[in-house]
Amino acid sequence: MSNPVRIQTEDFSQDEEINALKVGSKRIGGIATFLGCARDFSEGRDVSEIGFEAYGPMALAEMKKLREEAISRFALLDARIVHRVTTVHAGDNIVFIAAAAEHRAAALEACRWMIDELKERVPIWKKEITPQGDSWVTPHP
Amino acid sequence: MIKVLFFGPVADRVQMRETQVEYTPGMTLHDVIAHIGMQYPGAFSIVSFIAVNQTQVHDKQTVLHDNDEIAFMAKFSGG
Repeated sequence: MSNPVRIQTEDFSQDEEINALKVGSKRIGGIATFLGCARDFSEGRDVSEIGFEAYGPMALAEMKKLREEAISRFALLDARIVHRVTTVHAGDNIVFIAAAAEHRAAALEACRWMIDELKERVPIWKKEITPQGDSWVTPHP
Repeated sequence: MIKVLFFGPVADRVQMRETQVEYTPGMTLHDVIAHIGMQYPGAFSIVSFIAVNQTQVHDKQTVLHDNDEIAFMAKFSGG
């Protein structure tokens, strides 16, 4: 089974990530997921590509900590976080987060919390490549 | 030596991803910032996070050790 927290260049399979959660426990009553994907338009400009950069070891360590905190804080049965660091095009997958709990409320809250915290705490940056030039993305709420 | 890393917008600002600063006993994070800042004025205006050995630090008086790794980072924008 793949590691529940990963940074990788290649695409991921949502089905495989969800299956990895389901085989781990029969007590799971709900799995909430977040899939971040690349847009072709941002800040009034067409976006042709998005490039990602990460401080790899620190980003991975922070993502692992984030998962452990989410499991503890929301009494999750399991959780997975996968982030791609590469160049992606419109429609491509970027990040996948899944929270598995006995009931839906905890799963949904934990999933939202993890993506919000990831954006605040994990050293990853994205640069939008547009016909007008490249620009680093300013964090969005 | 102290290994200094730059990421994302900060790397663009200083036009390099990595450099080294000679270690001297008693050296602090502030000393490294001053050293880099002299070479690249304005480089730190977009630095929001600083890590020493992959742990975020806030105190610029943090004492460094030989072979420490410092990272200067702008606000994160992953996800």
